[in-house]
This record gives sequence, C-alpha cells and structure tokens, in this order.
Amino acid sequence: MSRLQATEIQALARVIGEIDYYQLLQVPRGAVAGEVRKAYHHASRSFHPDANRHLPPELRQAVQVIAKRVAEAYSVLRDTRRRRAYDQKLDAGEGVRIQLAEAEARAERDSVESGGRTPQGRQFYKLAERDLRREDWSSAARNLQTAMTFEPDNPLFQQQLAAVKEKLR
Amino acid sequence: MAKIAVGIDLGTSNSCVAISRRGRVDVLPNAFGESTTASVVNIGADGSITVGNAAKANIIHDPHNTIYSSKRLIGRYFFSDEGKKARAVCAYEIVEGEGQSVRIKIRDEVFSLPEIGAMILRELKSIAESRLGQPAAHAVVTVPAYFNDNQRQATKDAARIAGLDVLRILNEPTAAALAYGFGRGLNQRVAVYDLGGGTFDISVLEIGEDVFEVLATAGDTFLGGDDFDDRVIDFLADEFMQREGLNLRNDPYALEKLKVAAEDAKKALSLEDEVHIRIPDVIQGPDGSPRSIERTLTIQEFSSLVTDLLQRSFKVCDEALQQAGIVARDLDGVILVGGPTRLPVIRQAVREYFQQEPLTDVDPDEVVAMGAAIHAESLLSEATESVLLDVTPLSLQIGVAGGLTEPVIERNTPVPIEQTRTFTTFKDHQESVVIRVFQGESREASENALLGQFEFSGFQTGRRGEVEIDVTFEIDTDGIVSVTARDRRTGEQASTRLTLSSGLSDAEMSAILERGVADRVETAAAIAPSAPAATVPAGKPGLVGESDDVLPDADLDLVPLSPEDLELEKDPGLDAMPELETDPDLDAMPELETDPDLTPALETDPHTGPELTPAELDTDPLAGAPVGLGDRSAFAEPVDQSELAPDAQLGEMPITVEVDSSFAVTEIELDGPIRATAAGSATAASAADGRDPDDGLDLLLEDEVIAGGDLDLDDLTSLEDLSIESDDAESLFDARVDDLSEDPVGKD
Repeated sequence: MSRLQATEIQALARVIGEIDYYQLLQVPRGAVAGEVRKAYHHASRSFHPDANRHLPPELRQAVQVIAKRVAEAYSVLRDTRRRRAYDQKLDAGEGVRIQLAEAEARAERDSVESGGRTPQGRQFYKLAERDLRREDWSSAARNLQTAMTFEPDNPLFQQQLAAVKEKLR
Repeated sequence: MAKIAVGIDLGTSNSCVAISRRGRVDVLPNAFGESTTASVVNIGADGSITVGNAAKANIIHDPHNTIYSSKRLIGRYFFSDEGKKARAVCAYEIVEGEGQSVRIKIRDEVFSLPEIGAMILRELKSIAESRLGQPAAHAVVTVPAYFNDNQRQATKDAARIAGLDVLRILNEPTAAALAYGFGRGLNQRVAVYDLGGGTFDISVLEIGEDVFEVLATAGDTFLGGDDFDDRVIDFLADEFMQREGLNLRNDPYALEKLKVAAEDAKKALSLEDEVHIRIPDVIQGPDGSPRSIERTLTIQEFSSLVTDLLQRSFKVCDEALQQAGIVARDLDGVILVGGPTRLPVIRQAVREYFQQEPLTDVDPDEVVAMGAAIHAESLLSEATESVLLDVTPLSLQIGVAGGLTEPVIERNTPVPIEQTRTFTTFKDHQESVVIRVFQGESREASENALLGQFEFSGFQTGRRGEVEIDVTFEIDTDGIVSVTARDRRTGEQASTRLTLSSGLSDAEMSAILERGVADRVETAAAIAPSAPAATVPAGKPGLVGESDDVLPDADLDLVPLSPEDLELEKDPGLDAMPELETDPDLDAMPELETDPDLTPALETDPHTGPELTPAELDTDPLAGAPVGLGDRSAFAEPVDQSELAPDAQLGEMPITVEVDSSFAVTEIELDGPIRATAAGSATAASAADGRDPDDGLDLLLEDEVIAGGDLDLDDLTSLEDLSIESDDAESLFDARVDDLSEDPVGKD
C-alpha cells in the first residue's frame, strides 16, 4: 500500500473545494465505467479512512474529507444520468461539486424535458402529444396511461393525464 | 505484549470469535471446545449471568429467565412488528423502556438490549482472553448489512458496555467476502448469501486484488433460521391441536420444548432425509394425563414448509443484483454464510437460483468472525493490506411536508459519504429548525425507520428566506449517521449524533456502565480448567483503548420542541398542502430549499406557488381531499374546534381523525390503553391529570406512538382523557387514535 506523505494529503485537502471529480479521481472526461471504478479503487487505497488510522488526528481529518469526496465523485461519475447532470453543471461553470439529490433532480428534469426517461415512455408520450394536438382526449388518456406503466412516477405524464381527464369530464 | 484485536460475529443464535495473527486466522473455541457459542443469556436467582450453551440449556426449564434471539430486538422500537412478535412468542418478559425502546425484565431487573448484547460480547471477550492469555480490548464487531443506524448504534453501545473498543462495525457479508478473498489476488465478482439465525443479507461484491468493493447489498431483517424453526413449530402445534384439541402455544413450557425439538429436527435434516421427532409429555391434558408428540418429519415435508421463505430471500437477491447492474451468471462465485445454509434444501435452492454450485470451502458459521478478525488485524497494523469499500444499505431521508420523505443519500451509495442540503427559514425571526431523519425506501415517512430528530438553533435570525442553513448528513465507515447544521452567514455550527428513541442517551449509558452488568457474567472460560482467564483482569468499561473512537466528540441530546420552534419543510409552493409536521403554532407553511444552486430563491409567500421542479411535483397527491375516517388526508379549509368524527364507533379501531387546527375527543370510552399517532404536531393534555394544555406535548409523525413531553398516553384509559388541541387555525394536522386492546398481538 502506498504511504502518502503528510504534505500530499494536506495539499489535496487544501484544493479539494476547487478540483472537479475528474481531477480528483484522475480520470479523463470521457472515462468509461471500468476506468472510473479502477480510479475509485486506486484513490481508496490511498484515502480510505481504514488505510489511514495511524495518522495524527489532523491528517486523519483531512483524509476523511478526501475519502468522502472520492465516494461522492464515484457515485456521480459511475451513473450516466448523474454524470450528464454533473457535466452540464461543470460546463456551465456552476461549481465543481454536485449533491446527489441535486444530480437526481437535474436528471429527472432532463428526462421530463425530453418527454420521458424510457424509450417506451417517450414513445407513448409522443403519441399522446399527437392525440392532444388532434384533441382526441380519450386516445391521449390511453397513451398517457400506457406511458405511465413504464414510468409510473413521471410527473409530466401525471400532470398531462390529470389535464386530459379534466377535459374528458 | 503487542496489542491484539479480535473479530466477533455477534449472531442471532450463535456467536463466534476469531483472531488473525500475521495473516493466520484462528477461530477461538470456548471452554467446551465449540467454535461457536449460543447467543443465549440466563439470569440466575442470585443475579448471576451465564451465557452460551449452559444458558441455552435453561430454555426449557427456566424460560422466563432465559433470553435468546435478542439480536432481533436490538435497536428496535417496542411497538415495531418485531417487538410485537417477540412479545407473542418469547417466554421472557418484554417491557417498554424510555423512548419506546424494548427492555427485558428478568426477576425485577430491567435490561436494555445493548446490555444483553454486552453480556454475550463479554463472554466472547473472555473466551478470547483465556485462549490468548492476554487482554483482548479491541475488536471488529459484525452486524447484518441491512441493519439500520439504530441497530448499528445499539450494537456499538453493546460492545462499549462489554468493555470493548470497537475498531469497526463491519457488515457480515463483507466480512465473509474478505475471509474468502483475502490475500488471494482475486479478480472476481461474488455474491454472499447470508442467512443467519434471524436476518438475511445478500451482498454483491467486486474483488479487485486487495480491494473489496460492495456493489450492492439488500436484506430482510425479519428472515432467518428462526423462521424455519417456527414453521416446524407451527406444523407440529397445528397437528397437535387437530389431534388433541390442545393449544401448545399457550403454554410457555410446551412452546420451548417444541422450539428445541424443531431446531434439532431442522439440524438433523442437514444430514438425514428424515428425522424422528419425539417430545414426551409435551403438555398435560385436561385430565392431567401426559400428552406427547411423536412423528417422523421428512425432508420433503420440511422443504414444502419453507419454500416461501426461500422465495422471499431470492426476491431480495433479485433486488441486489439489479442494483449492482448484473445478472446471476455474471458472478464468479456464491459464498454461503450462516448455519441454515448447511441445509440441503437451501443449498439446492441457491444452486438453482444462481445457476452455479455455491462455494463450500468456507465454514458458514465461522467465516464472518474470520473476516472480522482479518480486518481487525489490518486496522491495528501500520500497513493495511486490504481496503473494504462498503455501501449504505438503506436510503437516508429527511421528513418533509405531508408525512413524506425526500432522499438525501440513496441506498447502495459508497461510504463514508457526506451530503449537504441547504434549508431556509420560512418565518421572520425564526429561531430554530428541526430536521427529522429516516432510513428506508418509502416515500411515506411512517414506513421508514425514524433515526431521530435534530434541532438547530442559535443561528443569526433574519427575515424569512434570508437565513441559510447548511445541514450536512454523514454516514461513516461503520454505517453510522451523524448530522451537522451550520449557519452560512456566521459559521455557527451544531452537530449531533442522532439521539435515537431506541438507543441509549449518554446519561443512560453512564448509568449502565456504572451498573456494570457485563462484569456479572460468569464465564464458562473462567470455570474451565484449561483457561488461564482467571489471571486476566476484566476490561474496565469505557476506559480501554482509544476512547475517541468510541463516541463522536460532540453529542447533543435532542430536546422536545417548544411551540415557538419551527420545522423546515420541503416545499413552500404547494399552497393547497395543509400538512404540518410538528408544530401547531405555525401560521404558514414552512419552507425548505433543496439547493440554492439548483432551485433559485423560493417564494416566501406560501400562498403564491413558485414553479415546481419535477422532483417536487409529486409531493402532495392528497391535498384538498375530503376528510374521512381511515384517510390520511387533511382538511384544505381550516375549521375550528372540530371534534372527533361523530361516526366513529367503538370497535371500529383504528380510527383516523383529520383535523385542521384542534379537536377534542369526547364520549368514546375504551377499555384498553390508548395509543395516539399524529401527523403534524399537537399540544396534548390529559384532562384527567388537569395538566395545562400548553405543556407542549409533541406528537410526531411516526408509525408508532411518539409522545414527547411527559404525558404518558398509555396511562390514559379512555379517549375522554385525551384531548389534542392547537390554537392556530391555520396549522393543520391529522391524528390517529388506536385502541391497543384491539391490536392483534399475534405472530406475523
């Protein structure tokens, strides 16, 4: 196991708020899942709290901070939906960190904006949109209902279905 | 003498202790030469405590003073399903302790579950010390992967009471994988199928040489070998009932005899195709004549009794594989853990499910303790040789409006991890905020485990929406949760270990350490002739090792809320949303901002809804729904002084009452004790006590009773005695009053 010098730990802890997840895990932007996992393992060998129990308290604390950020980075980069949300945030210069719930919310919003997060959901939602343009409410309701079998909790589908049901009444 | 650390598998039925020295792992047998020790405690008439098989032998003739399967109760609430079940089937007396915790009462002495665990741990510590001839003060203690924070914390407390310095709380399947793969330079994906006495875990791991990464874990803390025994017990009892017309379940002595016979029969079926069960004189007939059970149980019969239990375990496996993003055939190996996995019927089912021969070169009873021992040595040594990357088994959630929850850290997220969410105040000059923390997968708060609530005050007050409070949730490598709140402007900070309703407060812990029950354990090791343990000083609780690892630095007990306190809520925008969580005095919807970077400043006026982000849209499906019995909705329109719905009839319990601001319950009388649950908050007062309604009893949303303050709802004998009031017309809450006397206390 590689023993880290105190100075290395301190240096990383100092810039942890400024480097992005790719820099932290030392992977390129296009890294595939396997590379991200390897990088996570590599970083954990150095920074997992178990591997640094014998450091003086202040260094242990620095290691804790780094380890938690490494886990966060991995949680985001290994998940394509979260990663896309993170990349957008990064590109927009909105920060180097994304909270997991925030990544989920952004991903959810993206999937709503693109009319669903599953191919089938999107397909039936498209059909429903066509029906809506034709004002064929009952067909729209059926298609939305079908779309919801693939994405039961899609708020866009729910909202539209409620609106269509209102029309039908 | 060099410091040593042991690995301890604290099991539901049996426990095991092992040590690793320079990579060589030995299971340390007890004084009788057995590698595992029964997790059974007997309290003698003189207050002496025995642990292990000697204690287990008392189950039949001294069932009231013999505690078994206590792991099923550790970290649980008194009113939980598991608590109810235990009360129905256990011969020992289970009573309710502070904060609805479970306590066990033996011969007028009341023990907390961590103390019972401590007795077992002390025995294992003594076994290790007698075998090693030196004090064993440090340990890695394992828990089921699916244990929640309450259960982990309670286990850690148990170790502390036993005088052990816990280096790490380790997940059992992870320990097993470590024992399997340590030092072998493997590159494999493995599943650990861990069916213990009382719990089931499945973990999927990727082993990359020295790194053991848990990809996903899932479990069922209500499924274990005990349930297999129960099936045999039920089978025999039902048959006996049919034949003799006598219910063995009503007789604690008969039940314990059945239990022992069922367990023996199950074990025999791992070697034989059939077993002869004979229980002479199991009970006396009405005429005083002895009645017996004698029959043969075949493996086919047994198999059909337990098929659904196995199917339940495979449903959990499906979940874990799906979360890990792999299918069964991607696995390079399946490791079996737990005594029940010796059963051919289980091995066969596992083989079919995973489409491969399970690995049998590791002993299912010892592998967990061995893994824990390996990790213990690794943690003590300077050069750590393996890294365990574990995950949190359950989603960490915060309570939001409407009795719902919002995830902060999802299950199977690697630990340690820290996540911060930003909250703001909703009211001018608001002085405190309350965060309630849950673990579980449901959107409904009541279906998750409440870990505790956290109050933060002392920040710089301001107009509503101006204050920004960062609340940070952390899960450490032990899987234990802590919460910190910080005022962004001043940097003022407060942190807490979640104080759990089922755990021990610091004051209780001190009292328990003072009482020193673990010192009363008369260890078999000390009695055994081969044991040098008599020369080993007993560990001094709380004084061993690196005590800074035992407890977080800043412990902050939670206090009941005063009516001035306010809770932050998820969404200010849903103006139709009438739910209020803990406070009757709120004059408007509180608000919670999920993230200022994501969601720009939220509207401060709750009656003008800001645009909803997608995540928020589904928070309130029930807003404005009509009021009715059995409905969890609430009034959309405030109504003053509404009474308990007049249709509520005695016997139609549970009654659900929704009220907007206040209600008084009159005219219904019940015989049994009353339990009340309120979503939202209320000031409750006992009319019988003549207590001032402003005492500020908080009824918190939970699936069970939570009654803060000092009003004991169980003391009430009729609904007449209970009134729940709120003087704020705009605050809404709903309350449920259950008649406990109607509550079925049967086996699940």
